[in-house]
Amino acid sequence: MEREQKRCFQQVVLLIAAIFVLGLMASPADAAQKTQKKEPIKIGVVSPVSGNFADHGLLERIGMEMALEDYNNEVLGRPITLIVADDETNPDVAARRARRLVEVDGVKFLMGGVSTSTALSVGAVAEEKKVLYIATNQNGDQVTGESARHYVFRTPPDMAILVRAGAKYVADNLGKKWFFLTHDYSWGHSGTKWARNMLGKVGAKEVGEIKVPMGNRDFSSQLLTIRNSDADVLVITLAGFDNVSLLKQMNEYKIYDKMKVWYTLMDLVDLFVVPAEDRQAYVCAETYYRASPEMEKLNERYQKKYPRAASPVLDTGTYNGWLSMKMLLEAIKKAKTADNVEKVICAMEGLTIKDNARKTPSYVRPWDHQVLTEVVFGKVNPVQGNDILEVKAYIPADQIARTKEENPVNVGCKK
Amino acid sequence: MEILVLSLFLNGISLGLVYAAVAIGFSLVLGVSGVINFSHGIMYALGAYFFWVLQGRIGFWPSVALTPFFVAMIGFVIERILVRRVYGHDPLFGLVITLGFAMAAEELIRMIFGPAAYSVSAPSFAKGIFIFGNFVYPEYRLFLAMVAAAMLAAVWLLVEKTNFGAVVKAGMFNPEMVGALGNNLTLLRTSVFVIGAALAGLSGIIAAPVWGIKSQMGTLILMPSFVIVLMGGLGSIPGTILGGILVGVSTSLATLIIPRFVDIIPYLMMGFIIYFRPRGIFGEQNIVE
Repeated sequence: MEREQKRCFQQVVLLIAAIFVLGLMASPADAAQKTQKKEPIKIGVVSPVSGNFADHGLLERIGMEMALEDYNNEVLGRPITLIVADDETNPDVAARRARRLVEVDGVKFLMGGVSTSTALSVGAVAEEKKVLYIATNQNGDQVTGESARHYVFRTPPDMAILVRAGAKYVADNLGKKWFFLTHDYSWGHSGTKWARNMLGKVGAKEVGEIKVPMGNRDFSSQLLTIRNSDADVLVITLAGFDNVSLLKQMNEYKIYDKMKVWYTLMDLVDLFVVPAEDRQAYVCAETYYRASPEMEKLNERYQKKYPRAASPVLDTGTYNGWLSMKMLLEAIKKAKTADNVEKVICAMEGLTIKDNARKTPSYVRPWDHQVLTEVVFGKVNPVQGNDILEVKAYIPADQIARTKEENPVNVGCKK
Repeated sequence: MEILVLSLFLNGISLGLVYAAVAIGFSLVLGVSGVINFSHGIMYALGAYFFWVLQGRIGFWPSVALTPFFVAMIGFVIERILVRRVYGHDPLFGLVITLGFAMAAEELIRMIFGPAAYSVSAPSFAKGIFIFGNFVYPEYRLFLAMVAAAMLAAVWLLVEKTNFGAVVKAGMFNPEMVGALGNNLTLLRTSVFVIGAALAGLSGIIAAPVWGIKSQMGTLILMPSFVIVLMGGLGSIPGTILGGILVGVSTSLATLIIPRFVDIIPYLMMGFIIYFRPRGIFGEQNIVE
């Protein structure tokens, strides 16, 4: 009997111990911790799926996915979920989609976009909702200039950097009488503004300007007017599908026989869709796929994985998408949290990405949230194949970027 | 300066003829069937895409010949399945149903061909340019104007000089009477819709080497076409040609004075014309009323 009691007692003790252990394993605190550990980090991608820049939007999203692959799709042990919203390259739509991503999907990080106007509207939403936004492919000055915000970062160079990279060469070697052809919205205005700003410094003069609205397909009248001016350089700030039409029509109207053409910013993807004979301009570009051995490796990866993408080689949009995602994930790692947006913002500031596949590291300037890397200036040659750019120079952005005096803003964590 | 104005004027004429060539099918369908056919732009886009696909495989001229035929077949299917249901109803029904189809079709084009833009080279026989001092005129623009003019002339001959055309014209004003006289009104409307689709397809082909190819190209051409039809008068061939040329020349010349606002010019002109002539320049009482 005593032995039986002892056995029962032992069984009860074992049972209690087992329940205790199980209880510990299933305790609410632990459960919460586990849930938090596995809860995905949602990143809202506000990017054009349709409209003038739809192909550029697809390319930047490819870059973001490539970066996520580098991180096995997780950071701080949490999986990453991308939620894509089509901004239609329309600032109102972009703001509405961004707001929905924050309010309905609960994202704390936004990125993407190809037009400065959408960057400005999404930036306003980011500030209102106190979420971090990285403008991935917008170059208008305003994003990190007069409309700079504590919650907004910008990966690509602004137009001051791009124009300064080429202006002197253009004036010294191509001609000093400049005619401006400007896409009539904030980005286009930025390009012409800085080119105009450089006139006196490089000894050039303006002989005319034509602004064309976005969505323009026929440039014949504009090109006839330009052809009849006595300009020796046509300075173009115009992009997207409109640019594909323009490139074709410039050759059709033999503009290259009459004057040199300089693009203050060319997305090289626009050149790959036109015949070789339509590729003849001097261009400033953000990246080139042959910028470094690492970039060529990144390009090989891109070509292998996305053989049918709009650009046959790694384009600026893809690179900027890749770099933007990499920066965000590095900042989250540095901040050791993805839940405290303010900490991630402060971690972004001053962040330096050395393994960025470029000769110059990418540096996030704290006071205006502008990322500084390097830009390319070169001549596009009418040749078949992918090797179309004859690079004249890679120029580190920090040498030519706007100074604090030129851009008196301070949106950093340390005021 | 005079040379530049002349260049811009001639450029405007060729642009206007292309606009008119696109708009003529839209005008005929609206005139005969009372349907505001917003799928017309999609036919234009399909023409460009089919041509782009075929040209690399079978060459320029065979592609030019085959593409309108394929587009016409698609037009036939759409008319049978969708558009036929709204004949005799309020024109807004036709607008809604064809607009819905156009949006779905544009998305389908994007899914099949991707969001990227494509470029088509001008045929080798029209790659040059006429240059006389400051006067310049690309050969392809001349070719474009000639083809567009030929299309418009063919439509005019069809409508003005054939029995079929006589019935079409009668159908614009009194379709019931046309039916009561033993004509197959449904077949007439189907034929006009198919011809309209083929014309849009052919316009897409000739415009592709100049403006490129993109999924939204149909939507972008639609509004100028609509404006031209309203300016010229519903179903009027001379009105459509005049409307197209007015839009082409005015936007071309406006580049000299107000380049930033050239897009508004056609709408201002339309408002002005409709204020004084609500049925358009050559418009008469018609089926829509």
